[in-house]
Amino acid sequence: MARLAEQDKLQPDWWTKSLAGLILGFTLALGLVGLFAWFGPGGIDADTKVQFNMWLITPIWLLVLSFSFMFKTGLRAIGYLGLFNVLTYIVLYTFR
Amino acid sequence: MKVRSDVLRVYQSIHIWTGIIAGIVLFIGFYAGSLTMFKGAIDAWSMPPALTLPQVPAEKLDDLVAQVLAQDDKAKTGFSLHLNDEHQSPMTWYQQGSERELSMSHQLWHASLDEQGQLVTQLSTPSELAELIDQLHRTAGIAGDVGHDQAGAYVLGIAAVLYSLALVSGVIFLLPTLTKSFFALRKDKGESRFWLDAHNLVGITSLPFHLVICVTVIVFAFHDQLYDGLKHMVYGEKPLFAQSAPDKTPYTLADLPKVTTVLAKVQQIAPDYQVNEMTFMNLNNPRATLRLGLYNPNGFMRGPVTDFLYLHPYSLKVTNSTIDQSDKGIWARTVAVFFGLHFGSYGGDLGRWVYFFLGLSGAFLFYSGNLLWLEKRRKKQASEQTRACRLMASATVGICLGSVAALTISMLLGKWLYVHVSNINHVYLWLYYLVFGLLVVYAFWRGAAKAALLILPLCALATLAMPITSLVALIVPSLGLWAPYSVATLGVDLVALAFSGVFFYAYRLTRHRVFNGPQDSIWAIPATVPVAELTQQTS
Repeated sequence: MARLAEQDKLQPDWWTKSLAGLILGFTLALGLVGLFAWFGPGGIDADTKVQFNMWLITPIWLLVLSFSFMFKTGLRAIGYLGLFNVLTYIVLYTFR
Repeated sequence: MKVRSDVLRVYQSIHIWTGIIAGIVLFIGFYAGSLTMFKGAIDAWSMPPALTLPQVPAEKLDDLVAQVLAQDDKAKTGFSLHLNDEHQSPMTWYQQGSERELSMSHQLWHASLDEQGQLVTQLSTPSELAELIDQLHRTAGIAGDVGHDQAGAYVLGIAAVLYSLALVSGVIFLLPTLTKSFFALRKDKGESRFWLDAHNLVGITSLPFHLVICVTVIVFAFHDQLYDGLKHMVYGEKPLFAQSAPDKTPYTLADLPKVTTVLAKVQQIAPDYQVNEMTFMNLNNPRATLRLGLYNPNGFMRGPVTDFLYLHPYSLKVTNSTIDQSDKGIWARTVAVFFGLHFGSYGGDLGRWVYFFLGLSGAFLFYSGNLLWLEKRRKKQASEQTRACRLMASATVGICLGSVAALTISMLLGKWLYVHVSNINHVYLWLYYLVFGLLVVYAFWRGAAKAALLILPLCALATLAMPITSLVALIVPSLGLWAPYSVATLGVDLVALAFSGVFFYAYRLTRHRVFNGPQDSIWAIPATVPVAELTQQTS
């Protein structure tokens, strides 16, 4: 493996990446679960599906949180996660 | 597998710092959680057998209920029937308190029938030992409330978020060496390599269990907030939960169906299940409910022990169920699996034991993780370790082992003091916090090495004393002690004996390292320097 130049390396950016993962990761998970809740099997009115939806948020959130440190910089983490958020909620609020 | 070195470095930092922050409370959550796998056995072990009245055959339950309802007003609002459980009286109801609230001073009536079919009743304050261990498991012993939730449960919820990061990062930075050294347990490359190998082996083999626990703990802690999030961002005007109109028919106790009728109905709905518990609630108002705890040793239970079926106690209409396999019940059934995965309430008794050991291995994972942190920061050839290292070592030994010792001692002394106090539950609580506090203070005062050499033998002796107490009970009955009277209660004594061996072995290893190990470690007590002087240097 070739040695990476300093600017190509992963920057730690602990605060921005952590906050991006915690906050934007959570809203993204919530939005994705929202898509599942409305457009997934059974639709929004299925009996007790809300419990399953509630359970689904955490694993998605944790997955996003743990991999948000893979973004090269904190700013990129915020940018990408913010973009995914906007797209998810546009779809959710347009079609629900 | 190759992973870029900068990625490895980032995730290594995440692993170390999330682990060191969350490890100690998670240790308590895990070891106490292991014990909660046998709540019923621990409760039975902690109370004299005379407190439990003998079981009656199912066909006599109607007679029992009728006799109780004829003479007791409290039972008319609600009561429980316990079937197929030698550790429970056949019928119980609360004189004071309710099963929904946690209290140290519930008063519970027990009722049964003697051989002539005459009613026998007695009132007692139940030992809440197993419930207190469960609380320790959920809160790590952190007292206080936030809103209507426990502060400790939130602390563990936050710890579980850190724990999830520790799990993912741990796997990532292990990937490059995983295939090469997975099963390696190298003893000849120094203490720290051996601990690291053991830590990795346990961590990777029990990874699925840890992922499950971490997600479920977060959901248990923050489900209110998660539902709020769904309500505001997703559901909008749609209701989260469908509300069914309550049955307004004015029923009286005379309309209550026979227990045998209910059992026949359940047999028809759930032929694979046996009824463990029937709890009648709110019998005098429109919210009347009958909750049945159903057990199937081959099934996947929604609760810690059983699945649940809710019926209207008068009409016997099903209002809620965690065993509905049809399309309508599929979501509730799926969620039941998440709960069961946390509780280990699948796979019958074998599953229970597997979870017991997985819980203990989790506690080992956090403890060994902290020891690795200490070894990594060890200043080679230095006579004194850094302040951070000394404090962390004291916290690890004092809080982790201190909590184990405090619980062990309060369980043991609880048995000895039972007949001498009016309410044993306060004794459990006070003893736990007193011993825990003293040991933590001692660990910070005298350092990790001396504390470990005090706490480990303390644990070993207290656990050894449990089976000895049972022997004493057999030899000197006048002391008011009691010996095991069932397989489960004997099991508690035997597990205590096994634990005693483990603690004693750990004590011998620690002692060897303290006196013969390298002097440049947090575990060393230099033979030449008097201890008093050492503590002065460090304070």
